[in-house]
Amino acid sequence: MKGRAIGAAAVCAVAVVAIVVLGVVLSKNVVYFRTVSEAVEERAGGGGDGRLRLAGEVVPGSITETARGVRFEVTDGEATADVIHRGDPPDLFKEGAPVVCEGRWSESDVFASDRILIKHGSEYEPPDVDSGEKASGDKASA
Amino acid sequence: MRAALGVLALAVGTSAAVLGIATLGLGLRRGDERLLRNGRRYVFVVLAAAALAAAAMEWALLTHDFSIEYVAENNARATPLLFTITGLWAALEGSILLWALVLGGYLAFMARRFRDRANDPLVAWATLTGLAVALFFFVLMLGPANPFKTLADVPSDGAGPNPLLQNHPLMAFHPPMLYLGYVGFTVPFSFAIAALVTGRFGEGWLADTRRATLVAWGFLTAGILLGAWWSYEVLGWGGYWAWDPVENASLLPWLTGTAFIHSVIVQERRGMLRVWNLSLVIATFCLTILGTFLTRSGVVDSVHSFTQSAIGPMLLGFLGIVAAVGIGLIAWRGDRLRAPGRIDSPVSRESAFLANNLLFAALAFVVLLGTVYPLLAEALQDRRLSVGEPYFDRMTTPIGIGLLFLMAAAPALPWRATTGEVLRRRLLVPAWSGAAVMVLAVVFGARELAQVLTFGLAAFALAGIARQFAVGARAHGVARVVRSNPRLYGGLVVHVGVVLVAVAIASSSSYSTKREVRLRSGESATVRGYTVTYLDSDRERSGQKTTVSAQVRVERGGDDLGVYAPAISTFPNSTSGIGTPSVHTGLREDVYLTLVSSPNERGRVTIGVAVNPLILWLWIGGGVMALGTLIALAPSLQPFRRRKPTPAVGLRRQNDEEREPVPV
Repeated sequence: MKGRAIGAAAVCAVAVVAIVVLGVVLSKNVVYFRTVSEAVEERAGGGGDGRLRLAGEVVPGSITETARGVRFEVTDGEATADVIHRGDPPDLFKEGAPVVCEGRWSESDVFASDRILIKHGSEYEPPDVDSGEKASGDKASA
Repeated sequence: MRAALGVLALAVGTSAAVLGIATLGLGLRRGDERLLRNGRRYVFVVLAAAALAAAAMEWALLTHDFSIEYVAENNARATPLLFTITGLWAALEGSILLWALVLGGYLAFMARRFRDRANDPLVAWATLTGLAVALFFFVLMLGPANPFKTLADVPSDGAGPNPLLQNHPLMAFHPPMLYLGYVGFTVPFSFAIAALVTGRFGEGWLADTRRATLVAWGFLTAGILLGAWWSYEVLGWGGYWAWDPVENASLLPWLTGTAFIHSVIVQERRGMLRVWNLSLVIATFCLTILGTFLTRSGVVDSVHSFTQSAIGPMLLGFLGIVAAVGIGLIAWRGDRLRAPGRIDSPVSRESAFLANNLLFAALAFVVLLGTVYPLLAEALQDRRLSVGEPYFDRMTTPIGIGLLFLMAAAPALPWRATTGEVLRRRLLVPAWSGAAVMVLAVVFGARELAQVLTFGLAAFALAGIARQFAVGARAHGVARVVRSNPRLYGGLVVHVGVVLVAVAIASSSSYSTKREVRLRSGESATVRGYTVTYLDSDRERSGQKTTVSAQVRVERGGDDLGVYAPAISTFPNSTSGIGTPSVHTGLREDVYLTLVSSPNERGRVTIGVAVNPLILWLWIGGGVMALGTLIALAPSLQPFRRRKPTPAVGLRRQNDEEREPVPV
């Protein structure tokens, strides 16, 4: 009976350790989904250190090619973020396209993206944006 | 006309299911054999109704009857014939119809196989449970998932199937395979419920459903691997598994089903793990329903989208009922479920099977948590997030390696207890082979622990399997070794397939090279010894599809490996392009080419070049697994023999391996 009790305790201990490991690994690999304004606000408040998905529209006129990819701005109508993407963007990446960029903020508060998803139709509704007004122009030199 | 025929068939199916349930229920209550014999006949009416409804849908698809909403949405006049036929499972409503058809088929098989035992309460309850499941799907189709909904304004042309689904012939095979797997688990589930209700949870129901479970498992395995193949050959992102919720949904029942196939053997031999086996079967069935819910209700995109149709809540409600009934029955029978056997030694076959089951359950839990966590976070905290692939990779790798170790060592362990002498004799050579391969792997540059262990355990397992075949050949002669015990040797062949798959996954996940190169016409780039030269591109229209393809010459060390044409296709009903990769397949490695972006204004294209080692072995391993499953089923090829009714609780068969064949 004593052996059984020890066995049961060992099983419980293993289960607890396993669940803790599971929780830690899970929380480290969660990718939050943010609109541009949510992400910018969170970043201004000192957060946003992990990987996240940034949803918005590509600001018209902001796309420039870099040696390793593209640089552009995304907006959700309220806030705008600079994005540097490594690698070629997908075929339908264009001005005004609704995109989801996955990556993390760099030190200089530029969003370093390594994956661009273009969502469409029933799968994902891009944030409703008056793309021209607030977004254009003011950050073109950034 | 076609719509009316379809709805009529669905109504007939629904009524037959209701009448069958009522007749069987009444017969069971009164112990009336005539009612029980009549009740089972409704199963064939259900099958006929499902077949008629599916035929009506195919007829509508083939004649482009756009007055039916489903046809208008999933077919167009220009859709090629193959994808017109596969339109039956191109979207939700049709795939529920396919589900009902497959379920009708399995139930009819079951009713025929047990036709001599129609008045056996176990069989009657199992048939009743199966009919109840069928009833749910028929009601779903008469209600929110009606495939025959008609349109007031008939369009002149339909939208056509989802572009991804009309880009490759594999689409014709992958979903039916998955469904044959998914739905097949209804049979063991029905028997598990029947065993609980009748109190006959000895080994009888396991023997009755062994073959059905294996058939379902084999189809599910094939379906999952075909899905991976489709992902690799069609989706063009360079991989075969992305831990996508849809993929996970198919993997989850496979994990618990695989655990079940193993733990069944322990119950047959030692009478242990009864509650566990019942729970595994019920969990597997629940996971198939959960998988359907995840993939078909739109809940994955957003928790809030699934209530837009009643399908999601209905599936979720059905899942809740099934889980509650299962758990309730096990709790009700709890006191009588206590197993007669006990584990005598931690180093024995049954302990290894137990460890195998715990690992499979843990693996299923890890995948389930990662899959539903985003849904829970959104539902409970209104936070939108996704769980990254590293979570799955990091958590599943150690469990997978543990399973590989058990797979290598366990078949050599004797039942009950063992001695050092036996272990030495059976495991010494395999263990040394494994160690030698690990050293070789390190010498040849493998640095990651997980890979080195996988290669070593693969060799360990293969050497152990070879030893077992050798022992069997000595006893029965080379020609008859498999026939002497198809279940054992079929299982070992499946293990060989698993080894191939494991090695392919381990190599391709860490030794792949992936690059994107931007080339103008005539320019070349070199990726890991392969020179790719962009020659030209062209644009082509066929049917609804517009395809831009790039001609790319692949060379290695001066050898011309040919011209490949990765492409991007666009369809009018979708804004996004569908990439079609072009793959140079080799036994050692694949060169995987994708067209990342079509020629820009300066004529420059971006081509994705990936060199993936040993991928071919993933598909070969899948084939070997399917072959092993067929071998394990082999006795059904022998002359048909009637079996006596299964014995009541507690009676165990003496020798499982020498048991006479059990035809399905």
